Amino acid sequence: MEKPTVDNKHDNRFELLKELLLYDDRQDFNVLKDEILEREKFKRKVEPLVDEKIDDLKNNFSVHFGDKVTESIKVQIRESQDEVVEALYPIIGKLIKKFIVAEITKLTENINQTINDKFSISQIIKRLFKGKRTDADDVLQEVFEPIIEEVFVIEKDSGLLKGSFSRGSIADKDMVSGMLTAIKSFAEDAFSKEGQDLEDIKFETFQLSIQNFKTIYIATATSGIVNSDFKEELYDYNNTLAERILLDRSFLEDEERLNHLIVDTFIKTKKLD
Amino acid sequence: MIAKKVLLVGNFGVGKTSLIRRFVLNEFSEAYISTIGVRVSTKIVELNTEKIKLLIWDVAGTRDDEKVPKAYFLGASAAMYVFDVSREETYLNIEKQIAVVQQLSGLKEIMIVGNKKDLLSLHQLEALKNKVNIPINLITSAKENENVEDAFTILAEQSLK
Repeated sequence: MEKPTVDNKHDNRFELLKELLLYDDRQDFNVLKDEILEREKFKRKVEPLVDEKIDDLKNNFSVHFGDKVTESIKVQIRESQDEVVEALYPIIGKLIKKFIVAEITKLTENINQTINDKFSISQIIKRLFKGKRTDADDVLQEVFEPIIEEVFVIEKDSGLLKGSFSRGSIADKDMVSGMLTAIKSFAEDAFSKEGQDLEDIKFETFQLSIQNFKTIYIATATSGIVNSDFKEELYDYNNTLAERILLDRSFLEDEERLNHLIVDTFIKTKKLD
Repeated sequence: MIAKKVLLVGNFGVGKTSLIRRFVLNEFSEAYISTIGVRVSTKIVELNTEKIKLLIWDVAGTRDDEKVPKAYFLGASAAMYVFDVSREETYLNIEKQIAVVQQLSGLKEIMIVGNKKDLLSLHQLEALKNKVNIPINLITSAKENENVEDAFTILAEQSLK
């Protein structure tokens, strides 16, 4: 039998059959291909923008989210105070303990040094001639020596600052002297009988002493332990300062000159050193 | 630099504190005014090339029933009485209240300022001038920052008189 030749017609039919059978699959394939190609194109287009955005987020995270994060943390802390305290307590406790131990060690060394000095022959001789001050007073005085931190000379009625000395960095001394005058007036008006003045305000480790004169008052802020001897000395030097100012009222019109006078007066007492 | 104490007085809620907020940034917290009845702020004003430091005492209330220490009014070089243009009760007894401020501070001239201008129309503002018995120096709006700077400049000028 003769081998049949290739029947193109038959082959086309096969192709046609393939076409018919695979039509849907090819359609799906083409859609998927287009989709993938589209995605690739889109990816290529978007990638630089995404990278740019990521870099921006990395570099400016605090700018974009700082407020939100802070607010969330605040809310979280507020709502879970007990848990926060529980988590922080051991850490803070250890830190406080470490700090207290270090401070007590320093204090012990200071006290030991002072006691040793106190029982030296020269000190024993001095003790024989000293006045009413006790040894405890002396030790405390030396360990927690009082330091004058601020001196303000303020016009009594207006609360205007006329001159000052400051170790700290008070941003607006004029405002502080105004508020101090207001607080002083308020306290005197609320609690004092006529003719009485507010003299002392204690705040944490600071003691604010106020000494009134006819048209001015002098406010001094002191850190450390203020004993009666120091107070007397301070009282004397405030009087000296006020006397000089009130004898020569031009000091009240020249802040710089008055500031020098304050420093001169208090340096002589060696309390500012 | 010259420093002057100036007062800001007027009924509660007339906008004294808002005027100061507009004018100065450095001020003590709100707690002071409700606790001791006064808050002090400072601001440097330039008048004809001369600088003047104003120590502005924002005094809460002037009525007899408000126990404000008299000492707050002492030593002031000028005072601004502020009322709310939209609330009649804040300017109804203005003459009497100004007399109280004059008596406590020893100042002859008190500057009168109507605040909250933004709440009234031009027509209403004109009508207001006839209602208030004494001349108004300036009408301001702390909210819209209108005439605030001018008000304090006039106050600074008065403090130098």
